[in-house]
Amino acid sequence: MNPRLKKFLLVALAAVLLAGVSQVQDALNHDRETLGLTRAQPLENAPPVLAFTTVALGGFRGLISNLLWARAADLQEEDKFFEMAQLADWITKLEPHYTQVWIFEAWNMGWNISVKFKDFADRWRWVRRGMELLRDDALRYNPDEILLYRELAWFFQDKMGKNTDDASLYYKRQWAGEMARVFGNKPANLDELANPVSEDQKARARLLRVEFKMDPRFMKEVNERYGPLEWRLPEAHAIYWAAVGLQKAADYPARVNQKDLITLRRVIYQSMLLSFQRGRLETDPFSKSFEFGPNLDIIPKVNEAYERNLDEDDIYTEDIQRAHRYFLMQAVYALYVNNRIPEAGQWFKYLGEKYPNKALLGDPDSLPGRLTLDQFAVASVQEDVNDTSHDRVKSAVEGLLATSYRNLALDQDDRATGLKRLALKIYQNYTNKIPKGREEAMGLGPFEVINKEVLSRLLDPERGFPPQARAVLRTKLGLPAESAPAKAEGTPAQDTLPR
Amino acid sequence: MQRLLAIAWLTWKAAVRFRLFLVIAVLLLASVVALPLLIEDDGTARGFTQILLTYTLTVITGLLGLSTLWLACGMLARDIEECQIQLVAVKPVARWQIWLGKWLGIMSLNAALLAISGASVYALLQWRASRLPAEEQTTLRTQVLVARGSLKPENLDRDIDSETDRLLEDRLKQNPGARADLQEVRRQLREQVKAQYQLVPPSTIREWAINLGLTRHFLRDQPLQLRIKFNAADRSPSGTFVGLWQVGVPGKTQFRQFPPMSLAPDTFHEFDIPPNLFDENGVLTISFGNANNTSLLFPLEDGIEVLYREGGFGLNYARGLGIIFCWMALLAAVGLTAASFLSFPVAAFLSLGVLTMAFSSGTLANVVSEGTIMNYNAETGVTGRSVADVVFVPFFRVALDVINLAGGFSPIDKLSSGRSIPWGELGAAFSQIVLLLGGITGLIGIVIFQRRELATAQGTQ
Repeated sequence: MNPRLKKFLLVALAAVLLAGVSQVQDALNHDRETLGLTRAQPLENAPPVLAFTTVALGGFRGLISNLLWARAADLQEEDKFFEMAQLADWITKLEPHYTQVWIFEAWNMGWNISVKFKDFADRWRWVRRGMELLRDDALRYNPDEILLYRELAWFFQDKMGKNTDDASLYYKRQWAGEMARVFGNKPANLDELANPVSEDQKARARLLRVEFKMDPRFMKEVNERYGPLEWRLPEAHAIYWAAVGLQKAADYPARVNQKDLITLRRVIYQSMLLSFQRGRLETDPFSKSFEFGPNLDIIPKVNEAYERNLDEDDIYTEDIQRAHRYFLMQAVYALYVNNRIPEAGQWFKYLGEKYPNKALLGDPDSLPGRLTLDQFAVASVQEDVNDTSHDRVKSAVEGLLATSYRNLALDQDDRATGLKRLALKIYQNYTNKIPKGREEAMGLGPFEVINKEVLSRLLDPERGFPPQARAVLRTKLGLPAESAPAKAEGTPAQDTLPR
Repeated sequence: MQRLLAIAWLTWKAAVRFRLFLVIAVLLLASVVALPLLIEDDGTARGFTQILLTYTLTVITGLLGLSTLWLACGMLARDIEECQIQLVAVKPVARWQIWLGKWLGIMSLNAALLAISGASVYALLQWRASRLPAEEQTTLRTQVLVARGSLKPENLDRDIDSETDRLLEDRLKQNPGARADLQEVRRQLREQVKAQYQLVPPSTIREWAINLGLTRHFLRDQPLQLRIKFNAADRSPSGTFVGLWQVGVPGKTQFRQFPPMSLAPDTFHEFDIPPNLFDENGVLTISFGNANNTSLLFPLEDGIEVLYREGGFGLNYARGLGIIFCWMALLAAVGLTAASFLSFPVAAFLSLGVLTMAFSSGTLANVVSEGTIMNYNAETGVTGRSVADVVFVPFFRVALDVINLAGGFSPIDKLSSGRSIPWGELGAAFSQIVLLLGGITGLIGIVIFQRRELATAQGTQ
């Protein structure tokens, strides 16, 4: 046969055979898994270079990843972090199905490396890198691994949500800024993202799916089940990812370790509590910043979560009950201070029914049946303030009044009313306890005088609120406008509202 | 000299004939171009530059090193095996001239390749830096693309030693009959004395005085950087500790008080100091207030350091390449020496073995410090012993000393962290690596090659 023709035929045969193999590849992979013929699963969703590398290196992958891991450990000892991102990338790609590698590398970047930097922007970069490693890469190659969802939720709950890191507020601001690209500077409208109509809505929904890897429809379900949630804050995302993990666990029950499920549920409950405590974003237009306030609408759902947890968990019943009681006390106080007295009363009654024999405060006699709602609210504040200390009580009363006026300036009228009422209750409680004949020595003076002093301090152009806040306050209180010209913006004594 | 150059030229011709020069050059340039596209950085321009410098120079060193070894072994061993060396040996060229000529040829090849690849990396870095925003460029040029010198507080070893001796004397007077390992007692006392100089208890202020010396004349109006590191015995919930830093002395010099900084322990931190905060004698006073509930310890060796701009990146970079070139010189000598008496595969194997041993200096150091090649059992706290320790431990000690002569320089590390490689260090590298180690190795190789009977070599054709 002509050698050239022979070569051509051989090449053609090779091409045909390769094409034929590609047709049966999927069936072969399926048989490998079902028949348990191999421990190494084929790598799905991997770029071609990675797929080739994992096959070509074979057993050497473990050796190489060990060498890289040793190098990473050495570099970390020497505080040379610039290579860590690359090494983490290689290590995880060499062992893409080894869950602990992903978890360790993400945790290392998010907790260990980030804190080494004094600049908050640098810290955020590493926290974000760790979070993205899990969300964008680990879950891509291991979409059914429950632990990864738990770790991702933990990033949001612990690193970004809690206040242990000095830069936690910076992380929250940055995350709120990220979410503002999807939701704008307002609470999320999940309906328009789940069923987008306009081009803008479609673009934002796509951004949510592609960049943040979140499903707007599932977000809506989570919001209905556990919310309402503030999606610009980390707690909502902790709940989301933990809920996704639980969903995956339900889809693949045979693969799930029960302990992993408990950790997922715990993330949800703890994040819901955080969401209640400070899950509302309040913008301060005067200082151009935002603050956190309690999310009172979530109280029933948080309570349900605790009840469910008590039913499911037999081991830590006492701890959960303690946490539940503490939550109920916080809920009652928060509702009271925000002038939602009927709800505060309902939950106070529920607290008494649920834990009738547990003292509410430090005093053993402070059982629910022996205290009124007002007494409980006042005592909650005074527990930290020695109620025989003139100065501390006066300080507490003045503080509450100042906070009340501040909330009034921020259009939080209900809370302002609640705080003022509480200030008055504390004043009355202290005054009533002064022994007869000692009023002059121990008394605080008339409440209205204290109130007027606090107000005049806040309305002082030199030392008080910014000009706009003063104007709002005067309007709401029906006071005349300032007689002296207001100072130009940027030159008041204080640039921000006093805390 | 003409003969040496003639042999070197023959080496060049062989390298070109085998396409070796072309292949290595292409590989080097490809790595310079491809690496920036493949590597992942930490998201900052500084981090990217550091990782680029580290990886490109490491790849260049690795490729050149391996090719040098391979070429050195191949050039001589193959010539001997294929009996081509006999055509050269019969000419009026001394054996040592053949050996040295080949070494010069390999080194000139290395010089050309290092120059091409080094220049490409430099150009790439400068080009990328020029495209950054001004602020990032400033950060890059003050922290990475620069040669920064270092100044530390006065060495206190003498004071610590004299205080230790005094304490030891007092203790011995108080306990005349006590039996103790005096060396161990002295060591512990020394650590206690040292701690007094290192510790900053809670709510106290510690001062350090750094004498800039003659460099103060060059540092007028130049900003400096303060590099600090501390250890803490306790952990804090946030993982950081608050420190209050002040540089300068109020009323005496200009001074700068920094806002409270929340810093992590066990890691280096750098921050900028405004210029001209030292006094007329060139003393820079740095104060630290510990605002925490736990003591912080600033190690004497590297707890406090002032960095200043000593020179530009270009010359520093060239000095770094110079040290890499010195390593190539040693590798070429090792390869040629091995090829002087071994066949090509065996020579290559031996050379790679020596190189592997050099990279295992960490393991050697462990063996020497523990005094045994056996493992330390962390659970029982017992270190194994072996009869082989009698041979291996002294051998490893000597090997480690030799390796440290060559491996004690880290130009890539210094370049990536913007630290200066002084001329003195380059001179020391040249003396130790090329003259001493390379010279001894070369001498051995030349002597062996001189005595080798070339005609008895197995011909391969």
